Amino acid sequence: MSAHIERIAKLASPPGSAVTAPPGLWLLRLGSDRALLVDKRALLAALALCSCLLAASVLSLCLGSVALTPAQVLPALIGKGDAMAIFVVQELRLARVAAGILTGAAFAVAGCLMQTLARNRLATPGIIGIDNGATAFAVASVVGIGVSIAPPALALVGAATATALAFGLAGGAGTRGYRFIVAGIGVGAIFGAGTQFMLARVAIDVANAAYPWTVGSLNARSGSAVATLAAGLAVGMTGALALSRALNVLRFSDSVALGLGIRVKACRYAALALAVLLSALAVAVAGPVGLVGLMGPEIARHLSSRRGVPIVSSALAGALVMVLADLAGRLILAPVEVPVGIITAVVGGPYLLWILIRKPAVA
Amino acid sequence: MLLTTAALAAFCVLSLLLGAGDTAPMDALAALFGRGSEEATFVVHSLRAPRTLTGLIVGIALGCSGALLQAVARNPLAEPGLLGVSAGSAFAVALALLLGASAATLRVGVAQLGALAGCLCVLAAARLRGVGDDPVRLVLAGAALSGLLIALTSLLLLVDQRAADEIRFWVIGSVAGRNLEDLWAILPSLLLAVALVLIIARPLAALALGERVAVGLGHKPWLVRLLTVLAVALLVGAATAVAGPVAFVGLVVPFAARALAGPDIRRTLWLCLPLGPMMVIGADIVARLLVQPSEMPLGVLTALLGAPVLVMVVRARRLPSL
Repeated sequence: MSAHIERIAKLASPPGSAVTAPPGLWLLRLGSDRALLVDKRALLAALALCSCLLAASVLSLCLGSVALTPAQVLPALIGKGDAMAIFVVQELRLARVAAGILTGAAFAVAGCLMQTLARNRLATPGIIGIDNGATAFAVASVVGIGVSIAPPALALVGAATATALAFGLAGGAGTRGYRFIVAGIGVGAIFGAGTQFMLARVAIDVANAAYPWTVGSLNARSGSAVATLAAGLAVGMTGALALSRALNVLRFSDSVALGLGIRVKACRYAALALAVLLSALAVAVAGPVGLVGLMGPEIARHLSSRRGVPIVSSALAGALVMVLADLAGRLILAPVEVPVGIITAVVGGPYLLWILIRKPAVA
Repeated sequence: MLLTTAALAAFCVLSLLLGAGDTAPMDALAALFGRGSEEATFVVHSLRAPRTLTGLIVGIALGCSGALLQAVARNPLAEPGLLGVSAGSAFAVALALLLGASAATLRVGVAQLGALAGCLCVLAAARLRGVGDDPVRLVLAGAALSGLLIALTSLLLLVDQRAADEIRFWVIGSVAGRNLEDLWAILPSLLLAVALVLIIARPLAALALGERVAVGLGHKPWLVRLLTVLAVALLVGAATAVAGPVAFVGLVVPFAARALAGPDIRRTLWLCLPLGPMMVIGADIVARLLVQPSEMPLGVLTALLGAPVLVMVVRARRLPSL
């Protein structure tokens, strides 16, 4: 959980006297000299998001061109029931829902990390051009520049290039706030133009095949990319959770973080590397569904406690948004499928505008 | 001014001589004076001349609209493409295509309506406390609006495959393959826009000194803003209807013009006249030559040229206040 985990090495008071937890936290004793502080609100938020995600996933398994009832879906998951239901659930929808959950979580955690290290709610990988960089390189591998490297690897190269450009041009993320973001928009525009260029040059059927992927869709996912993403997400989540204490402090100012013994620079670079890894691998599966990286952490921040950086809640909220958006995209204009990236842009665009207009966005 | 006009003339001649069809520059030169082979004459007169003319008009329209929008939003980063004006106009055209429209004139009017809606959004955002104070935030709001409109456009294109095929190249932005009828279609609105610009140039310069000064000099700020927005919508709508959304011209050209002519909007506007076409025609020439025998889309090249300028403007220690 994104709650604080505190080790109280030696409780100063003699055993038996009450050690009270600060308000809003639960104290879980582990043995006589250790204890765990769990943030109530963060725990409840994570549980609530978890149950919503579960419900959304079941809904997504049920609905579609062939509507099934939960009573048909649940047995089909473990291979019981009629053959058609098993085929639809296991072969078609399960992989898609899994890809949605993984990509949503990866985008949202990447967004959460970037927002924290840039101290700006708008500094998500989608907005500052990282997703566009990954897309450009991944499209290059698909439309055939004659490179035989898998899309995830190239997406990673693209994302790293875009990040280096955005940061290099803006002269670091820490102090310059919005300028950094606009530099990122510029970098994103360059890579976006490159993607368009590649798509304009190839034959129309290849372009049509790559098109839903450039706006962000779970339709064109490949099995190996999903597997790579799953591995990457495991690494990324572990890393992010390991960094979470340092990130909690990094939210304030560099001097505060330094004073509390955080290696600010190392921590920033580590968080940045994780964000780049996660967004690149997610782009390789689903294309640039960038606004999930904004919406996931926002929802998590509203629900979860303000004590820590809501990494777990962000992941859950991002997965929820992604699964719901994909479901909506499949149903709205059926039988035509609307790519999930368009749904998130239509929903997330006004939300982004609202954030910009309503209050100062610097966290 | 003289120097830039001479440079523009040189660019136009180069644009007639180079690229697009395998005619050697010397043949094209001969054809220009009416002595070339039949093929060269065809290439120069029927392919390259309309193309150069389109570039000329689109460049003027986009360059001037950028300068006007920046003056009225008081923001050096205000650019029709970045702020969603072009996206609004593209969305309107996609909507019209979906509803079955195809005539060129109709397309111009629709694009201008879309651009007007986009402009009004920008102006409303610029007047908001918080967004308007910070040039960079306005750009972010514009990027958000633009992303939203692009997503809606893609949604429309998904619904209608015919529109998608018709619009796939148009969406990227290009001055190639436009015929003279398209240009005739936008001519009336361009003349109207020029008349508007002539009327508002003086009050706009007064407005740059501050609202009170402008009122004291007998101008009506709201009227000036309204007319400026109207002119920008006419210009951007016309340019978008012909060439598709070409981003960053409205940023780079006024930026260069201000660097050369100083902050006075009247002198900046004059200088935008030769500089805008110079950028568009120059980018178009490079687009033809870079990946022969195929071509790069113009919008890609202007983005490649403009994004570094955007970064440069943002990096400047203090944004020039308008």
